[in-house]
Amino acid sequence: MRRELLACLLAAALAMTASAQEHEGPPPDVPAPTVVPPPSQPKETVEADISTRELAVTTGFTGHEIVVFGAIDNSQAPKEDATGYYDVVIVVEGTPFPVVVRRKSEVAGLWINTSSITFKSVPSYYAIASSRPIEEIAGPLVLERHAIGLHHIKMTPAGNTGAGYKDYELAAFKAGVIRLKKQENLYVLEPHGVTFAGRSLFRSTIALPANVPVGPLVARTYLFRNGEVVSAHIGRVTLHRAGIERLVHNFAFVYSTTYGIIAVLIAVLCGMIASTFFRRKTA
Amino acid sequence: MRPGVEGRARVSAQAKLMNIYLPIAEMSVNVVLFLGMGSAVGFLSGLFGIGGGFLLTPLLIFMGVPTAVAVGTGSMQILASSVSGAIAQYRRNNVDVKMGAVLVAGGVIGSVVGVSLMKILRQIGQFELFVSLSYVTFLGAVGALMLIESIGTIQRQRTGQAAPVRKTGQHSWVHGLPLKMRFHRSKLYISALPPAMIGAFVGFMAAIMGVGGGFVMVPAMIYLLRVPTSIVIGTSLFQIVFVMAATTLLQAMENKAVDVVLGLLLIVGGVIGAQFGAAAGARLKGEQLRFMLAALVLLVCLRIGWDLMVKPTELFSIGPVIGGGA
Repeated sequence: MRRELLACLLAAALAMTASAQEHEGPPPDVPAPTVVPPPSQPKETVEADISTRELAVTTGFTGHEIVVFGAIDNSQAPKEDATGYYDVVIVVEGTPFPVVVRRKSEVAGLWINTSSITFKSVPSYYAIASSRPIEEIAGPLVLERHAIGLHHIKMTPAGNTGAGYKDYELAAFKAGVIRLKKQENLYVLEPHGVTFAGRSLFRSTIALPANVPVGPLVARTYLFRNGEVVSAHIGRVTLHRAGIERLVHNFAFVYSTTYGIIAVLIAVLCGMIASTFFRRKTA
Repeated sequence: MRPGVEGRARVSAQAKLMNIYLPIAEMSVNVVLFLGMGSAVGFLSGLFGIGGGFLLTPLLIFMGVPTAVAVGTGSMQILASSVSGAIAQYRRNNVDVKMGAVLVAGGVIGSVVGVSLMKILRQIGQFELFVSLSYVTFLGAVGALMLIESIGTIQRQRTGQAAPVRKTGQHSWVHGLPLKMRFHRSKLYISALPPAMIGAFVGFMAAIMGVGGGFVMVPAMIYLLRVPTSIVIGTSLFQIVFVMAATTLLQAMENKAVDVVLGLLLIVGGVIGAQFGAAAGARLKGEQLRFMLAALVLLVCLRIGWDLMVKPTELFSIGPVIGGGA
């Protein structure tokens, strides 16, 4: 299943490069550029920015799409399209929070939570967009060094909550977190999410779902050539509560007694309004 | 009960135009869908003359609302729907205020215990299990009793037999307890302990399950305390209003589990649905209604029980770290 998917993606990637070459016309006999440029040339660097720096979460918030775009300075791409010569990987990461992971097992015929591990810091949101699947871009060591990829998210058990678990059990808990976060659309993989426009420009659209946790998001942009990071850039987006949403949330958490009294008053008032309104109607 | 990820996905797939972001549940929901849910539950509560908390809370959990928020916000909705009923009963002089006060005193204590227990259970990750087990136990017991009673009544009516006459005026163990009080409106001279205990139990259930508890309080008052039937409904509504107000406040303070935006959606839907339900209920016989209600109660019970018994497709669950708990 997984191999088939990979093969499919590869085919798609090949088709894309092929079509790109067709558009350019000249020599199709040159496959992928492997020539390393002479050392005298200035080193390439990446510049990036995000379409939205601040995002307001209001009662009407249903998610938002941000665009991460950038350019490669001193691009040495031999042709008009940088695809294939350079690879760009964009990682958007939310504020890390401690997370409790619980596992159910059968006890006397009932499925109940029996074991749990608390991970110290798990990114609340994690999206990777790349110009092609990250496994093709670089080796696992490089990816791990830069914490790129869902399986390179650092999750360490807090305190002694991880004590007594074997390595494969810990791995199962970690896999559980990744799977659940993926289901909630909070962990996203876009293996072809970065597209090049010409020699040095690239862009990527990243969808933030409605349930994205509020807080700062960090967007890291990596420029790869021949499986190595040649340059990186860090940008930020801040999600903050605004409007009624902010008011209600702050009230509930800071002045929780007043909030509770207001909730009671609203309920009582609604009940009384309903009873007078409908009595008049039916009487 | 497992939070429905599918439910959340389904909601987000619908037209985003009618969505509203719930500030405490921290999710975006469809306004029409939740208004509809509120009015459906309101219709049933109007039809059967019940609070409907036992339907609403599980429904909210199935829709992906966190269990704690479903329970906390449920108490706000029950408060709103009980207020009008309580006022009407009070005007008709169907409330034994003294008995009600004893029930409320017990209820508030039960609610405090329940809310604190809920906090501990959330920390150790067993809150969802506890809620499910409470639902299965109470709904199973009450549903089965109601089913037996209503089938018996229907059968007796078919064969033309008279209902067995209940012996009244008999003294039970209730009458041997100390702290006797005179409840004028109910024409009773009994110990204050049993009503306080019933009140406390109902308050505890209210906090843990997000229900009003009328389905436990009404039979307990009739059969254990021998309160006249005409007084029972009004007095239990009186208790529900005050205990639910206290529970809503405690849930907001202790568990930050009351979402006013969600609460308003459910209240508005519920009020509308209840009017139609009451009109429809007037056309049906009492025992028919009780039979249908019993079937509904047992269905909810089986649905929750099923989720506990069948191996879940996802064994893992994730949640935030609450308080200082491990």
